Amino acid sequence: MSTLVSPAMYRIEGLRQLRNPYTLAFTLAMPFAMYLLFGASMDYASQSVGHANASFYVMVSMGAYGTATAMSSLCSLAASEVGQGWGRQLALTPLSTAGYALTKVLSAMSFAALSVLIVYIAGYVTGAAADDVWRWFASAAITLVLGLVYGLFGLGVGLAFNSDSAAALASISITFFGFFGNVFVPLSGVMLDIAKWTPMYGYAALVRWPATGGALVAGGSDPLWAVVLNVLVWGVLFALLVRFGVVRSRRRR
Amino acid sequence: MDAARLAEGMSEPRVQIPDTPLASDAAAVELRGIVRRFGRAGQRFTAVDGIDLRIQRGEIVALLGPNGAGKTTTIDMLLGLAEPDEGSALVFGAHPHRAVAAGRLAAVLQTGGLLSDLTVRETITVIADLYDARSRVAEVMERADLTEIARRRVGKCSGGEKQRVKFALALLPDPDVLVLDEPTAGMDVTARRRFWQAMRADADAGRTIVFATHYLEEAEQFARRTVVMTRGRIVADAATAHLRASLGGRLVSATLADEALATAFAAELVGDESAADVSVDASRLTVRTAASDALAARLLAAGASDLEITAPTLESAFTRLTEEPS
Repeated sequence: MSTLVSPAMYRIEGLRQLRNPYTLAFTLAMPFAMYLLFGASMDYASQSVGHANASFYVMVSMGAYGTATAMSSLCSLAASEVGQGWGRQLALTPLSTAGYALTKVLSAMSFAALSVLIVYIAGYVTGAAADDVWRWFASAAITLVLGLVYGLFGLGVGLAFNSDSAAALASISITFFGFFGNVFVPLSGVMLDIAKWTPMYGYAALVRWPATGGALVAGGSDPLWAVVLNVLVWGVLFALLVRFGVVRSRRRR
Repeated sequence: MDAARLAEGMSEPRVQIPDTPLASDAAAVELRGIVRRFGRAGQRFTAVDGIDLRIQRGEIVALLGPNGAGKTTTIDMLLGLAEPDEGSALVFGAHPHRAVAAGRLAAVLQTGGLLSDLTVRETITVIADLYDARSRVAEVMERADLTEIARRRVGKCSGGEKQRVKFALALLPDPDVLVLDEPTAGMDVTARRRFWQAMRADADAGRTIVFATHYLEEAEQFARRTVVMTRGRIVADAATAHLRASLGGRLVSATLADEALATAFAAELVGDESAADVSVDASRLTVRTAASDALAARLLAAGASDLEITAPTLESAFTRLTEEPS
């Protein structure tokens, strides 16, 4: 009789994050503000990027950024809470490790979904447009499902560093990955060549795929296999980071 | 099995115990030669060095020992939070995880953390939900005296209040075996007394209680059986009343009129069962005795001066226990 998902823990987890100014600023307010800054208010907003306009392109990018931040910071918090002794308390209950992880991932996903929802509503209101309605849903679905990769990243960081600063480190890394991964400002030239190797490039490219079909703002286009490979390789690397974190946190006790 | 992996950093148990169901006729707690080492090769440190302990249902047992004696490590293994390197820990004849999952084994941990940004009520509600014991929240909060601070953030609670929150969490599943690791740490005298009153009521209702403490008084007042640990080993395991006689004496010393009188007193005390460690230094007599008041009265009547009566410190009591060959 072990508990798999705890509704009360899920509910209270939501409450905790809603009163955590840090989470609100980084996962909800920032993607929204960045969309308004780089998307809606620019004069290129209504230009086409293939199957959607530039506003839509920036909107899905910011949804991806919000999702990556929510997944990484909330999952790193989950890991460091366990390391700091709450795990001992939970270990004395019927909740299994899998149940704890599932509950935490669900609440992180919910936050990511909230972030996506806010940015998409802002996009809808300010003129983001796509050729078909399904492109909105396809982008949102790709954003949330592949966002799990950043859950792994957060988990690894949280396990390896085991402190309150782990969550900040995780979300600042995501901002960094975002800038160098062609998420915020369209890169070109050498910067774009470098960007293709960074952790958020493939993710952002796939999230935009329904809008762009792979076409790049700087000209040319990405082959699908290359961006999928980027996501796979970084997914494996993040899994290795989790493995390293587990070993490190075990050595600490 | 998963629950403990959470605490263990997801490590695999080192000793495999057959996953048998809880037995109704087994001892509440049975530790068989458990050993736990820390550190890596070269600087291995043995925290628990072969402990055998059998606790029957309804017993109240104090685990007494100085800091670093291995009490917390022993308790971790008893709870399944850590796996022994050697030996096995059984609760109701099965792995402790089973008893935990069934809500029959609960604990107030010394080092267990609470989430500081949750309120007291939220903390209790989260854990209650895991046990499917939401209906017990109000009762448990009342018993742990938390109703008035239900809306306070855990981070703003005092050490004693946090301790009471942990106590409430341990009461949620209504466990058969309750393990308390330094339960009254951080509590003031009043809170401590109320805590032990609540515990006594529980014990009378048939709960098995195992608690670790380094307060000799808590063991004396509450436990019917005391297990003394030092350096990872059990050095005494007996009825508390019996141990008190050997541990709880007072050191009486006084200066007598002359050495002859002192020696005469000493000779008489050597035959006395309640006295031990009799020594004479010139005209000063020193003796450890359980009947300190009576001896003091006799010494004063015999014209002794500079009378001193001191309680032996717990440390010295433990030192005695470890030095005595067992």
